[in-house]
Order: sequence, then structure tokens, then C-alpha cells
Amino acid sequence: MKALESLSRHLPDERLLDACLAVRQGERPDPPVAEHLADCGACRVRYEELVQVMDLVRQEGETEADAVFTPERLRQQQLQIARRIEHVGRAARIISFPGRFVHRTMTGSSAPSASRWVAAAAAAGLFVGAALGASYGWGARGGFTVPGDRRMTPVATRGTSPGEVAADDAFLSELELALERPHTRELRAFDALTPHVREIRDSQ
Amino acid sequence: MSGDLGPVADRTTDAAGGSEPTGRGRAAVPPLSDDTRLAVVIRGLVERGEMDEARDRFADLVTQHQRRASRIAYQYLRDAAEADEAVQDAFVKVFSHITSYREAWPFEVWFTRILINGCLDRRKAQLRRDRWMAGAEVSSADEARVSAAHPGNDPEHRLLARERRARIASAIDRLDGRQRTVFMLSHYGDCSPREISAMTGLKESTVRVHLFRAVRKLRGLLGAKT
Repeated sequence: MKALESLSRHLPDERLLDACLAVRQGERPDPPVAEHLADCGACRVRYEELVQVMDLVRQEGETEADAVFTPERLRQQQLQIARRIEHVGRAARIISFPGRFVHRTMTGSSAPSASRWVAAAAAAGLFVGAALGASYGWGARGGFTVPGDRRMTPVATRGTSPGEVAADDAFLSELELALERPHTRELRAFDALTPHVREIRDSQ
Repeated sequence: MSGDLGPVADRTTDAAGGSEPTGRGRAAVPPLSDDTRLAVVIRGLVERGEMDEARDRFADLVTQHQRRASRIAYQYLRDAAEADEAVQDAFVKVFSHITSYREAWPFEVWFTRILINGCLDRRKAQLRRDRWMAGAEVSSADEARVSAAHPGNDPEHRLLARERRARIASAIDRLDGRQRTVFMLSHYGDCSPREISAMTGLKESTVRVHLFRAVRKLRGLLGAKT
């Protein structure tokens, strides 16, 4: 019946694909299909077209992948895998730092003495700091003077002799003159031409 | 991009082996393949705590499957660095869970299932990234390597080959998620429909249907240009 069918009709695409896959896997296609392909030229052409497309797709894909994954790259990949599996099955390593610290503080009789030392050092630091701070504050209040005060003092106590008093008068009158003189540069010429009250008084 | 890819088989238990796949039952147990026997030996070594020896033997297993795995991962992800990491992750996962491997299925099936699951996860992440960033299909460095693979060809041939590859990749990318998985396992993984059934948890007849539809669609997309 099947043989008759195969002779009377063309093979559907599914059967062609099955045959194609079977050949690729190194198996023999169904005998009726093989028989039909041998007899029917149209189906053989379709089959060959299908094989051609499949081969092209496969070949292109493999060529592309093999060009990217060169032997060197595959070797590197192998090394990476070896490196990554090196730690599989090994117990995790415990880092000693926090464990040691915790061990020291939690065990033994050294813990109270250590805390006593810390407290003593803190108290000493506080005392020294307070002492230095206090001495600095007292010094500032009792010993230091404002520099401006110092400059004013000698002026108030200068000139007790008659010569010195005359010199002081001359100095003060010069100062007065300077103050009375107009500060504006444009007016100085007029000031020089104009007689002053003091000059008239002095001449009288 | 076509519909999202469903995870391969029962991932919660099968990623590391253990449970029986949901494909058609196997009537006769074929003789163990070389890689399956090697995997059983490694499992024994790990169980006995002989880790150094297990690692040495595992290197042979990596050598056997590395190229095929890289091809599959590259076709899935279209990115050399991603594919490289996916392959590494799969091998590391295999070694970490080797004690749960059962020789009811060939090692190749078990390994490929783990690899495909990893690729699917990465592909999902890629799609998420691509929503926000414009990603390149193939990096220029990879493209240069591929072009350099045919040094004898003239530039015109290389250009045509490059266009053909791009067209094929685009056509495969337009396949439905399951169709693509089945097609890739069949064409790049050299898997039979029965093996694909074991890897994916689909019935063998369903695998054949997906494969047939994938091929028909590909032929339509590639057309007479190929």
C-alpha cells in the first residue's frame, strides 16, 4: 500500500526533512522514501534543494563560530574553566583578622587590665589638656597687653623740659597749619595767595 | 524579535540533572558513550574526594565538548564574549553538580541542556539590555576574525559571504523561540530529534514539527537568494 502511495504521489516536505536528518545522523532513510527518491526526479530535486539549504546554513554558522573561537581562544577558555573549578569542593578560607580581634577581647584575664590602661590614659590626657588650657587662658587675661596701648603711653609722658615744650609747640603749630590747609590740590594755589588770619595776628 | 524562549525542560530540578526527562520513554538502554563513561568516572572521583584527579579528567571532557558548545552558544547569543562566558559557566556548573548526574541520559544531553538554559538566561538579559541600548549584532573584532578566516578570497567574495551570513543569522533570529532552539540543537549541536526531545522536554513528534516549521520558514526567508 505504502509502495503504491509512494509511486502515485510526491513526498511531503516532512518526509523529505526526516530523510535529510536521518542521513545526517548517519542512518538510512525510510526504505519507501529512499525508493521514491530514487524513482521520482521532482522529489529528488526538492530533496537536494533542501539538503543544499541545510548544508549552507550549517556550514556558514560553523565557519563563523570557528573563526571566532580559534584554537588559541579555546585553549584560553579551557584554562579559565580549570581556574574556576579549582575552588569547587574546597572549604571556604576563614580570614583571621576579625577572629583574632574578637578572641583577644572576649577571652583571658587581660581584658580588664587593658580597659584600665585605656581609662588611665584618657584621664591623663584630659588632665594635661585642662592644665594647658587653663595656663593659656590665665596668661591671656593677666600678662598680655594690647599693642595700641603701648604706643599711646610714651606720647603722654614726653617733653618735660622748656626746650622740649617749645619744640612741641612748633610741631603742633605745623600740624595745625597742615590741617588748616585745604586738602584739595586745586585750592592750594588760592590758599598760597590768600593771607591767613594767623599771619596777620603774628605780624601785629 | 520573535516570541520569548521558554526555559528548557524542568529547570528547577534538571539544570543539575537528577530527574527523568519528560520526553518519550527509552525502551532499550544503549551502551554508554565515551564521554558518559568519563562523566561517571569523574562523579566517582568527586564522591570519593579525589578532586585533583577529578579536575584532570574533567579537562578531557571539556576538550571533547568545547568546540561544539562554543558553536551552539555563539549561534544563540551572536556575541563571542557572551558565548565564551556561557560555555565556561556551563562547564563549571557541570563540575559543581557532577554528583547529581545520572547516566540514564548521555552526558552530551545533560550538558547541552545546562548550556542551553544558560544561553536562554543570557539571551533574555541581552534583550532587556537592547531595549535600552543600541547593541551591535556582531562586534567588529569578531567580524574581522570571521573575514580573516577566508584569507584567500577577494574582497568581493568576502563581502558576499558576510552578507550571506548576516541574512542567515537574521532569518534564524526571526524563528519562534522553540523553533530556534530545536533548529540550533539539530543543526549546530548535531542532535537527533530524540536527543532534542530529552533536552527540551518536548515530545519527539513535537520536536519534528518544530523542526519542520523552522526549516520551512527559513527556506521562505532565505528564498532563492541562497
